[in-house]
Amino acid sequence: MISDGDRDGTAAHPCLLFQAKREMKKRIFSRGIEHKKARWGWIFIIPSLVFFSLFSFYPILNALYTSLFKKKLLSLAPPQFIGLDNYAYLLQSPEFWNSIRATVVFTLGTFVPILVFSLLFALFIMSRKRFQKFFQMAYYSPAVLSSVVVAAIWLLMLDPRGLANQWVNFILNTPGIDHKWLANSTMVQISTMMVYFWKYVGYFTIIFLVGLGSIPNSVHEAARIDGASGRTDFWYITLPLLKPTTVLVSIMSMLQCLKTFSTQYLFTQGGAPMEPINVITLNLYHTTIRDRSIGLASAMSIILFCMMLFFTWLQFKTFKSEEVDY
Amino acid sequence: MATSRKSTKKSTSAQSLLIDVFIWAFLILAAVYIFAPFIFMFTASLMPASDIMKMPYRWIPKGLYWQNYWQGIRGNDGSFIYLRNILNSLIVASAVTATTVFLSAFTGFGLAKYRFRGRHLVFMMILATIMIPFEVIMIPLYLIIMKLGFQDSYLGLITPFIVSAFGIFLMRQYYLSFPNAVLDAARIDGASEPMIFMRIVLPNSIPAIATLAVLTFKSQWDNLLWPLLVAQTEEMKTIPLYIIRFTAEKHTDEGAMMAVAAIASIPMLILFLKLSKYFLGGAVVFTGKKG
Amino acid sequence: MMKKLCIFSVLFFTVMVSTALAEVELTYWTHEDPNRTEIENRYIKEFEMANPGVKVNRVTSPSGKIAEKVLTAFAANRGPDIFNMEIEQEYAYIVNRRLAPIDFKAIGYPSDKAIYDAYLPRVLDPATFEGKLYGLPLELTNWCIYVNDRIFKAVGLDPAKDYPKTWEEMVTVSEKIVIREGQIIKRRGFDFRYPYYLVSMVPMVEQLGGKLISDDGKKAIINDPAWIKFLTFMKEWGPNGKNLGSPTYTPARSLFNKDKNDIAMCESGLYQEGRIRKDNPEFYNSKEWRVIPYPVFKSAVKNVAGNYYGHYLVVNASKPKENQQMAWKLIGHMLSHPEEYLSKVGLIQPTLKLMKSDTFKAMPYANVFKEDMERGHIVYYGENSAKIQECIREAVESVMLAGASPEQALEKLKRRAQEALEEK
Repeated sequence: MISDGDRDGTAAHPCLLFQAKREMKKRIFSRGIEHKKARWGWIFIIPSLVFFSLFSFYPILNALYTSLFKKKLLSLAPPQFIGLDNYAYLLQSPEFWNSIRATVVFTLGTFVPILVFSLLFALFIMSRKRFQKFFQMAYYSPAVLSSVVVAAIWLLMLDPRGLANQWVNFILNTPGIDHKWLANSTMVQISTMMVYFWKYVGYFTIIFLVGLGSIPNSVHEAARIDGASGRTDFWYITLPLLKPTTVLVSIMSMLQCLKTFSTQYLFTQGGAPMEPINVITLNLYHTTIRDRSIGLASAMSIILFCMMLFFTWLQFKTFKSEEVDY
Repeated sequence: MATSRKSTKKSTSAQSLLIDVFIWAFLILAAVYIFAPFIFMFTASLMPASDIMKMPYRWIPKGLYWQNYWQGIRGNDGSFIYLRNILNSLIVASAVTATTVFLSAFTGFGLAKYRFRGRHLVFMMILATIMIPFEVIMIPLYLIIMKLGFQDSYLGLITPFIVSAFGIFLMRQYYLSFPNAVLDAARIDGASEPMIFMRIVLPNSIPAIATLAVLTFKSQWDNLLWPLLVAQTEEMKTIPLYIIRFTAEKHTDEGAMMAVAAIASIPMLILFLKLSKYFLGGAVVFTGKKG
Repeated sequence: MMKKLCIFSVLFFTVMVSTALAEVELTYWTHEDPNRTEIENRYIKEFEMANPGVKVNRVTSPSGKIAEKVLTAFAANRGPDIFNMEIEQEYAYIVNRRLAPIDFKAIGYPSDKAIYDAYLPRVLDPATFEGKLYGLPLELTNWCIYVNDRIFKAVGLDPAKDYPKTWEEMVTVSEKIVIREGQIIKRRGFDFRYPYYLVSMVPMVEQLGGKLISDDGKKAIINDPAWIKFLTFMKEWGPNGKNLGSPTYTPARSLFNKDKNDIAMCESGLYQEGRIRKDNPEFYNSKEWRVIPYPVFKSAVKNVAGNYYGHYLVVNASKPKENQQMAWKLIGHMLSHPEEYLSKVGLIQPTLKLMKSDTFKAMPYANVFKEDMERGHIVYYGENSAKIQECIREAVESVMLAGASPEQALEKLKRRAQEALEEK
């Protein structure tokens, strides 16, 4: 997927499962004409159900099935059943482990700064009496650009003669140093993180702002009456109450980072070295398109799918024990 | 909120002023970081290519070099196909937005307001599809669309996106708090269920619909891989494809590239400025609060 | 919204029905090349006039994207009737029997052998598999070095005499030309054509006595010392060595035409001349540019020039017989204009007749290209060549950019290339 998250509206949906579960516990249904209405319920969901069966469930089952075969695109020979060999091959392939490394490094290197800075931005914006709306919109604005445009802009800025070198050299007073934004294997990883951070930090800032706004003012008032300072109020009141939002944002951005593709793809097209940023999705794409090994690629995608399921499950577990009510 | 609004006896006024200045500086610096690429895109789009890679970068263009926009719209081959591609993006994004909003509301309402066996399972399954990376289902999906005979057509571009799990979730959340009394009153008046949905529910869900609509529109505007596979003729291509093609053409210069990027971004930026409430509203849904 | 969908489907089917009225509809997928589009559209119009009931759909894609498009289409059994790609990519289609062998009658030759006789020796070999011919070259391209005389003169070099003949001289000449601000290069002497390692860099290894694949086709990466020498050269070229260029700068050939004092030399094919003429007529007419042969290492054991690569026009085997026949007929019609392809687009269709023609001789520096082609050979085109190219790319990038030693890079390259070669 070159445009990350293009099937579902926003950058950050994957943790909805949790929300759903929480809502379901509440079971807000009107009692009454239940039986008659049950039939109508099915009628209302059937169109979507048909759609998802055809365009989501079937393809994923198809991928699972294909992952058990040695299958090459173009080959007219019938695919050969090889059981779990594709998975075994991947798990001992240094290249695939490099992809896992690249994905994990990118995910950690992106979502931790996003988490910290979006919280900071949200707190700081909340503390301002003026320009709140301006900063919200300003920080959010990169999210409305399309990935292709974002990559085109940043590729020019990260060019050796581009703005990135000029600025950093100006700030550090190191004229003429090439920071090799796209060339050096460490720097290119940092560059991808920076672009991603740029695009999504505003999005999560907004979520934190909503989280902050939902903490009732009375809680702060009470703390102040008890003599808490601003700092104490933050560490002992705001932060704990913000925990659900924090966990939410971290899991959302983590899952989003695991799916990353466009930045890495467009950077390698622009001359950046492949190996340091060869994330799973990029590897998957090349295994399909370049090597035509659709069986292997399917196995790869199932592994990625399982990783994402695992993280979702992890967040269920974490969240259950830490639900906060106020 | 916690750090500065209230300075109690412990902090002196000098201290709070310092904190205040720090926060402003931080916010403004961050805004500069966020805005710099935007400004770069717009200024570079008005410069001849030879000025863009000059060191140091001149933020104010010497003159307004509108030729870049002309070249971007005209294309290297003079076919003006970009205009058609923009139209395609508009058509596809609008059609997807319309179907997604309608079907998501339809299904979301069904899931929120009717009790029937298996609804939890259905809802969970729909939500689980969010976790499927697009690359995973790309090839099987392509095969289906080909079998339907939709290649290189608007139908092919639109069909895989006519409803979204995110949309269903959003609408369901919204309808959970929809007053049952209103529905029951309508039932007593003899309205059928579809009529209730069309006449009462839909007109009363404008905020949620608007949020879903802008987010869907935005994601379609950004969609690249799927049109890359499905659209074959130039006449069926969308904006991101044009940008990729334009950048790939060897003699395209950086100024025209930025002009094309700016043209692609301006509609979304205008939409964002006009409807920012709904853009920002998308985030609200995730916190489970009714925004 | 449902109404909208209905309207769409109605419109769609109307289109389907109206196109179905044509007896044979051919689709032809090719890469974008504006100069060629112009003449091919004309050929297609002529062809449609001469063959009523035939409709031809010419569809272009960016050259970097066409491979995945054709691949997905073939995977779905919806491939075009005719397409062209680089032979390295097309070869897998031949081996997997997705292409139709040539129909010499439809093209207008008396026999298969007559076709082989009409072309330069060996140039049809890549499209020959198990004794059958599967495609005809739309273009056969080799790369030489383009030189900007103005920049040479500006640094006191005489382009006619001081041009680099060896790779070692390429370094010294580039060092004279390069302008940097600190580490950042503002003007380059020469730079490579980076993603195309099989075409532009493997010959360098061969000059040093190395090989990509052994003669029996079983072993990849032959003669370690040669590869080490090559990788060391690239390391020295890159930002961690003498800092003369790097893959992250703007590709050399796109800067060259502009003549903006950014780059003095680039690697490209004969077609670049047409592009200079189109992009920058002043520069083209000034005659302040020249083409020089592909350099050879001083210590070379073999005199090899840049590899040539071919785009072959091929026909989809899964289409009905009449489509296939009509497709070959169209190919025959298009390829009957080699001189126009050469003069308008700068593409060489290597028939004996063309190489002897006045049009060819009249092209500036055509001789340089011809002589280089004679001391070069076709690029490696195995079924997994794309993957092997990726392995070389990784090796070169790791020494140039990531600071790996040539020995480390080679070890990895050998393992991965061997694996790619053996994988079926």
